[in-house]
Parts: sequence; C-alpha cells; structure tokens
Amino acid sequence: MKKNFLTAIKEALHEEMEHNGDMICIGEDIGLLGGAFGVTEGLQERYGTGRVIDAPISEAAIVGSAVGMSLNGKTVMAEMQFIDFISCGFDQIVNNLATYHYRTAGDVDMGVVIRGPAGGYGGGALYHSQMNEAWFANSPGIKIVCPSTPSDAKGLMKYALRDRNPVLFYEVKQLYRDNAIAEELPEGDYVIEFGQASIRREGSDLTFVTYGQNVYHCLKAADLLAEEGVKAEVIDIRTLVPLDEETILKSIAKTNRLVVVNEAPMTCGFAGEIVARIADKGFEYLDAPPLRVTRLDTPVPWAKTLELHVLPSVEKIVAAGKRVVRF
Amino acid sequence: MRYNLGSFPNARNLGERNLTAKNGSATATRAKASDEPDQLPRDLLTREEYLELFRQLYLARYFDVRLIKEKKKGRLTGTLYSSHNQEAVLVGSLFGLRPNDWISPIHRDMPAFFMKDLRSGWDNPDRMGMTIEEVCAQVWCKAGSPGRARDNWSHIGKKAKHIIHSTSMLAGTIPVAAGVAYADKLDGGDTVVVTYNGEGSTAQGVFHEAINFAAVHKLAVVTIIENNQWAYGTPTHLGYPLEDYARRADGYGIPGFIADGQDVFDVYDKVMQAVAWGRSGKGPSIVECKTFRAYGHGDHDDDRAAKYRPPHEVEEGRARDPIAIAKKVLLEKGYISESESTLYQAEGKSAGQTTDEDFPPEVVAYLKRGVDYALKSPAPAAEEGERWVFRV
Repeated sequence: MKKNFLTAIKEALHEEMEHNGDMICIGEDIGLLGGAFGVTEGLQERYGTGRVIDAPISEAAIVGSAVGMSLNGKTVMAEMQFIDFISCGFDQIVNNLATYHYRTAGDVDMGVVIRGPAGGYGGGALYHSQMNEAWFANSPGIKIVCPSTPSDAKGLMKYALRDRNPVLFYEVKQLYRDNAIAEELPEGDYVIEFGQASIRREGSDLTFVTYGQNVYHCLKAADLLAEEGVKAEVIDIRTLVPLDEETILKSIAKTNRLVVVNEAPMTCGFAGEIVARIADKGFEYLDAPPLRVTRLDTPVPWAKTLELHVLPSVEKIVAAGKRVVRF
Repeated sequence: MRYNLGSFPNARNLGERNLTAKNGSATATRAKASDEPDQLPRDLLTREEYLELFRQLYLARYFDVRLIKEKKKGRLTGTLYSSHNQEAVLVGSLFGLRPNDWISPIHRDMPAFFMKDLRSGWDNPDRMGMTIEEVCAQVWCKAGSPGRARDNWSHIGKKAKHIIHSTSMLAGTIPVAAGVAYADKLDGGDTVVVTYNGEGSTAQGVFHEAINFAAVHKLAVVTIIENNQWAYGTPTHLGYPLEDYARRADGYGIPGFIADGQDVFDVYDKVMQAVAWGRSGKGPSIVECKTFRAYGHGDHDDDRAAKYRPPHEVEEGRARDPIAIAKKVLLEKGYISESESTLYQAEGKSAGQTTDEDFPPEVVAYLKRGVDYALKSPAPAAEEGERWVFRV
C-alpha cells in the first residue's frame, strides 16, 4: 500500500516509541489533538500522557526540558508546531543542546530530535513558511535533515531517534499529504544513515544539488531541459549536516557544472555553503561559475503572486541551468 | 524527615514577616509566623551537624579567599565571580540534600560543585559531588577539569554526580532541571533538583517558561533565587517591581519562601521545607535568599563597582557576615565555647585581610590538595579543540 510523507513520519515515531521505552515526545497540541497536522496522532492514546506530553506554548521550556530529560537518560522527540517558532527556543538549541557534548568533553550526549513542518509554497506567509536551517548549520553540534520522499523521511527519522546527537528535522509540510509522491515503504526496521546523498536523476551536462521541496522543482526543470537536449543530474542531499560532499564532487567531475537550489534566503544560506565547498574542493572540475537559485533576500510574503515571486521556481531553475550550460 | 510540613504560606504572608533586606541590611526576626511548622528542619540536626555546617562555611569562604589571592597574583585566567558573603546560601541549601538529588549551580556558586554531598565524607570517593581536585583543575583551566577546560569558570557539571552544566545564559538551566525532574518522576523516582539563580535572571522569559512547566507537572524543582541586591551593575528596583522575588511564585500557585541568606540555618530550614514539598510530589517552589554581594560582579569589576554601589551600602551589606551569624548561634546553643569561638576569625574580613590562620587547618589542607592537583594537571592538547562537536 502506498503511504504518504506524513504517514511515513508517523510510522517512524510509533515504531521508535515501541522500540525504545525511554523515549518521550513533547510538543504543543501533540497529545490530545495528535498535532496540528496529525503527525503524532495515536501516540498519546498508545503510550500515555507520561511519554507524550502536551506542552505549554513555551518552545524554550520544550527544548530545555528535552535537554534535561536526555541528560537523565531519555530520548526525546520535541515538536515545533511550525519550524518558524523554533526561534522562541533558539538559545536552548544553539547554546545548550548543541554544545552539551562539546562542553562536557564527550561525557554527555544528547538524544534530542527537534522536528517540525517547514517550507513555503503554501500561502503560510512570514511565520508559517520558513526554512531557517542556515541559523543552525552555523551552530556547530546540530545535525540537520530535510528529506523529500516518504521512505527517506521514515528511514532518516528512525536514524535520528537513535543517533544520540541533536538533530533538527525539517519536514516539508507541502509534501505531507501529496499523493503524487506517496510510495510503498520498505519493510522491517528501515533506517537510513546520515550523510548519504541520493541521486534522483542521472545526467551528464550539469548538476542540480538541492533538498526538500525543491527536489521536485529540480526534477521538473530537468524534464524541461531534457526537451532541449540538456541532461541534468539531480542530487537530493537529504542531510545538510553531515553533508555528503563526495557524491556531489563525483557528479561535478562528470558534469562540470553546478546549480544549487534551496528555499532559504540567499545571503549566508546553505546553498552558498555548498557552492563554497565545491569551489574549494572541486575547482578544477568546474567549467562555469557555480550558481545559486534561492529565495530572494526577503521574508516569505502571503499573496500567491508575491510568494511565488520570491521563492525558487521551475522557470528560475531552468534559466540557471541554461546559464551554466551556455557559459 | 519527621517535621511537620504544615501548610505552605504564600509569599505574601512570608513577605509580611520582617525578612526583607533593604540595602543589604537584612534584619531577620525569628518571630514565628502562625503558619510556620512547629518543628523546623534545623531542630532535627545534631550538634555534630551544626558544627559541620559551620565548618563548611569556612571551607566555602576559604576557597573564595584563596582564589581571589591567586587571581591577584596573576596565576588564574578568566574572570572570578566571588561568592564571598553568600556562603550561607550554598552551604545551607546543599547540606540537607540526598546524595542522588541534582543541583545546577551558576557563576557565583563555584564552591557548590565540591560541596554537594560533602556530608557523605569530604574524602569519600563515592560522594555524589565533584572532588576539590576537579574543581581546582577547572579554575586553573587545566585538562583535569571535568570539562577539560572547554568552557570557563562555573560552566562545568557531572552527569554521574547529578550536577547540571550551566551556560552563560541566565535561568537557562531551570528548564533542564525540569526535564531532569520529569524523567525522574516518570521512572518513579523521588529525587529533587535544586537550581541556583541570581535575582536578575528571574526577568528572563525562560525562567517563567520553565517554572510554569514544572508547576503544571508538579515537578520537584526548587528554584533558589540568590538575591544579592545587584544584577551586575543594576539594582533590584530596576529589575523587578516588587520587594520580594519570592512573590514570583504566586503566579504559578507554588510556595515562595524567603530566607535570610546570611543565616545558614534559616536557609537550611527554608530549602529543606521546599525540598520536602518537592519530594512528596507537591511540585516546584521558589526560595528567595536575601543576601549581599561583597565585591563587584566579577573581579574585573571590583574597582568600577564603586561607581554604582555607594561605599556605605557595601559596608552595611557586608556587616552581617554568615560566619559570624552562625558562630553566634553555636555559642548560644553551647556547641562551641567562648575560647573555641575565637580560634578562627575569618568573619568581617575581606579576602586580602585574611591569613590561613583564620581558617581551620583541615580546610586549608583540603584546598591545598586541590590546588596541588591543578598545578600538576596539564593544559588540554590543542587538537582537543575540534573534538566532541558530535558524538561519533
């Protein structure tokens, strides 16, 4: 039976709660209601109010208490109702959670996964559309994940909950119930280790490196470019930290052209980081300047005309692809 | 504990008792409020325990004095946050804890790291506290520190000894304490978590978020507010509109105690009541300890502190030395003789005015052990700077 993205994550949470009796879930409205999007449905009924906590609207308390629970032997899934709200718990994440292992010279490890719905293209406006992963990529000690398929979401979530490192898990909410990407999920205890990019389409003329929702925009752009005889490779990095540089470099060695696509604003975004690393380690492979297609350096506005104007689009990606090929 | 928990007065009633500290001159009356339990926790202490509390005050003071002197000689790196004149808060709050209870000290609580569970024996290797050697290695910025000198001063902890690690973000350990207590409660435990905070940190949002969460889940978190009248360079009236910080408890429906922070026995009484409240499953509480910061915020600030703190205020604030107050109690109880009371005269003296003769020899020897270890401990290897970002 085909399952959607949301169901895949829900299954991962249920399986890990079952498998790990020391796992706790905490978040706003995750118990009685089952979460704003229903990702945590059924968890509290099955595992009780002790292990599935309906938290007050207090992101700092949610993250801070998750740190304490982990310190005292638990694994914690902490939900941000929208990933935008993570800023309210920022200090606890970057100064407390992320640095704990480092500060204690490895004595304490943090089994905390912070997950939440993220991304634009849904008319969510400024505070329900963000991709703010760059804030955390700039804070050493946090692993960052952003899957684009149901099976990846499940395998990566299960790995995250066993990793004993802080993990930030960006769930593209536009994909939650997208039937077009629903798929059969692998049987059994399916786990995907971090740091392994996935080549979603093979090509020889240029490489799109992307993650999350933009994977589909890049695939569509590759279709359009193919009509003009341009063969684009599409790499879904799946995890930003750690980043699978090897797969990207191998691709660039073949295609000699790079376009990085993501939803976050351009300046100091993760696309820039990928470009910088490839410029450093793969400069001799490049036949054209590496390009970025990102959100403009603006917030995400509400009206559809505005939102689509500032976010990456298939058209913008195709144009960037043509630019590197014609350079 | 056999004493009667009584019914808990709210902070308002406590505030009506004459326990407020204005300009540091806390004048605690021992007048018994009608809602105070008949028997106080201290009434169950033996003579030996009174004497041990007294001895621990000297230990905390000597640690501080020694560090101030070392810093002045240029032998320490970083900033030193003195706990001088605030020792009763630490000693009185730590003394009655069970070995397995958790604590989270902050910058001005450095002695707490090695004074936790000191009651199980100063030299007991199984004691649930850090050793004096570990703490000194941290102060000397050496690899022998529990954190291998990765973060400075009080930013250490030890999971195995139930000591939570702090950051520079004030009140930031209270949610962690709540999480520790939550996990413990879920597992059927009855340990209590005691967090230490300056009065200034109570204005942080996370202070509210964490105590609110703890109150909702009735978690055994005791939030001690060390009200030393100054948040760095800002006086209390610019930090909170009310006189008594214990009244912050009102908003959560939890007990808010006020202790005379200069009186180790009063701190012990109030914290033990708060601890018993938490351990019995009734939830969190706040204990405000009225005290006075003897020096600047940090030693870098000692000279500039004169700019914002009038000298007469400092003089008044330091007049009620916790060692002198405890000594008087021991004399009154006949636990020490007049001649014994004059053996060690650390009270009322600034760090520079004291000599080792002002402290019991076992206290001096204890610290020497720590310092000797620290001096022998190497600096961490440079490569360690990039280790332990992630667990591998």
